[in-house]
Amino acid sequence: MKSRVLFTIMTAGILLLSCKSETKLTQYSAIYQEQPATIYIAPLNDFAMRHIMREMDDSLYNNSVSTAAMQLYLTAAAPLTVNGYYVPGPLVSAQIAASETRTGKQLRSDNINDYYTDLGIDAILFIDLVGWTQTTNAWTVEVEYILRSTHSNSELMNVHVNATKHLITDYKGNPQPLPEDIDFAEKFGCDLETAQRCRLVETLNNFVLKDLPTGKRARQHKTERYISSHPEFFYLRIKKDGSVEMLNNPEL
Amino acid sequence: MKKMRNTLYVFALVVLTGCSGRYVGLPSEQVLRYQTTPTYGNLYTLATAYAQTINNALRADTLHPGMYADYGVALALLGHEKEACYMLNTEMAAFPESKGTVERIKKKLLPVMQYNDYVPPRDTIDMQQLSAWALVPNEAARFIPNAASIIDSTDTARIRQQNPVDSIQMPIKLTANQKREKLAYEQAEAERQKQARIDSIADVKKAQAAEKKKAKAQRKEAAKAKEKAKKEADKEKIRIAEEREKKREEEKQQRAAQQNEAKKQRAAEQEAQKKQREAERELQKQQRAAEQEALKKQREAERELQKQQRAAEQEAQKKQREAERELQKQQRAAEQEALRQQREAEKAAAVDSTQTNQQ
Repeated sequence: MKSRVLFTIMTAGILLLSCKSETKLTQYSAIYQEQPATIYIAPLNDFAMRHIMREMDDSLYNNSVSTAAMQLYLTAAAPLTVNGYYVPGPLVSAQIAASETRTGKQLRSDNINDYYTDLGIDAILFIDLVGWTQTTNAWTVEVEYILRSTHSNSELMNVHVNATKHLITDYKGNPQPLPEDIDFAEKFGCDLETAQRCRLVETLNNFVLKDLPTGKRARQHKTERYISSHPEFFYLRIKKDGSVEMLNNPEL
Repeated sequence: MKKMRNTLYVFALVVLTGCSGRYVGLPSEQVLRYQTTPTYGNLYTLATAYAQTINNALRADTLHPGMYADYGVALALLGHEKEACYMLNTEMAAFPESKGTVERIKKKLLPVMQYNDYVPPRDTIDMQQLSAWALVPNEAARFIPNAASIIDSTDTARIRQQNPVDSIQMPIKLTANQKREKLAYEQAEAERQKQARIDSIADVKKAQAAEKKKAKAQRKEAAKAKEKAKKEADKEKIRIAEEREKKREEEKQQRAAQQNEAKKQRAAEQEAQKKQREAERELQKQQRAAEQEALKKQREAERELQKQQRAAEQEAQKKQREAERELQKQQRAAEQEALRQQREAEKAAAVDSTQTNQQ
């Protein structure tokens, strides 16, 4: 009996130790140190646009991808706001971006202290849409999130995600939309392919940006420091039933 | 009992999630539509949607930060500078973090700050009076009501009355043809799915049976292979054991030979050491004897010297004593002479006296 209990305890211990991941305090130590209150989302850097420039005639695909990119940009604010940060809305952000003379690449490397001194913004979130890949029953999008401080010009967060959405296929192997996708398409007046892409990027934004430490406005501010956080690079799998699964290795 | 408990848990979960405040976000449809096609009509629709969303958010007591500012920007772009100024000021008051950003936007969009004290009328703004009203395209006009409300932050009471903006709806009206097509498509789709399900079940059953057969054959093969491997492994084990025994024997013999050689070597070394020690002892003995001889001679010479010294001293003492004796003798002889002379003198005196007496 004793040996059995010991064996169970040992196994549980090994399992717990193997499951241990980094806490938010270690993963986002720079954010806890600087405690930004206002985050401005810079215009999206869409690498998929290169494909659009090459294939000008494929308007269906191009419209779908560009709408999904816009949705990726627009839905990034909601999880940050829920986490207690002040995020300027899309129209205000557009006004800020219109008065900016530097390119996106320069903003990522240059001194951006003027955003703090002139606009009172503490950090800038850069979103890179690396690209889309598509198989018969899955959409995959690769996105990189970079959060840069306007006080110290240092990177507060850098997360690279490869998200895949698995689709239900019919007996011929054609992908079938979920009821939620149909609702989205009806609501936004777009085709089903665009709806599926838009819902994928929205889920991705929610999953990645809700993991950030809570801001000063949130009630949970600093209470979630020892909760485990996401790694800097991971694969996200959105299953057929809509549940989300995080993987370090896509083959698992 | 278990079922009851489970249902209770689910009920509690539902109640708790329901209590956790409703989040009223951006009017995402209108924002997306305006961002993808930034027309004047879409901007107007977006502004109206913002007004409605802010009203809803105030009722639900959850205000999305940046909503006032966005609404203000939309109003400014539509030409409502007074209202825009009011909205931007409200944003700054509600969210002090936004002060820097909003002031910059205000300077950019409303260069003349003459509307800072402006407070909009309590209930509505007549959107018909917009200066740019004529620019609204026709397709957007159907979304615009007669009068759009502007939010009233001075009224703290929860207003539940119907807002004119609330009544805006965008029903998707299908034509009869479209309806028929949709129905036909749905029926065909349902039939296809049903057939697919049946096909897939039959396929799955066949596949399962084939898999079972395959698995059985594989299991048999695996068992045979296992037995073979076991026999081979046993043989290998015996061979390895014999080899090990042989190796051990050889190693034992080698070790014994090595030990013997080592013993002999050790004995020879001990002999040599013994001889060396004896020779050393002999040498030490001889050295000691020579040292003792030298010491003896030295002691004898010292003794001789001492004897001679003592003899010389005794001689000197003898001579001294003899000289003293001589002196004493001479003194005693002189004393005796003196005494004798004295006694003779006394005797002569006595004789004289007696003679006299006799006389």
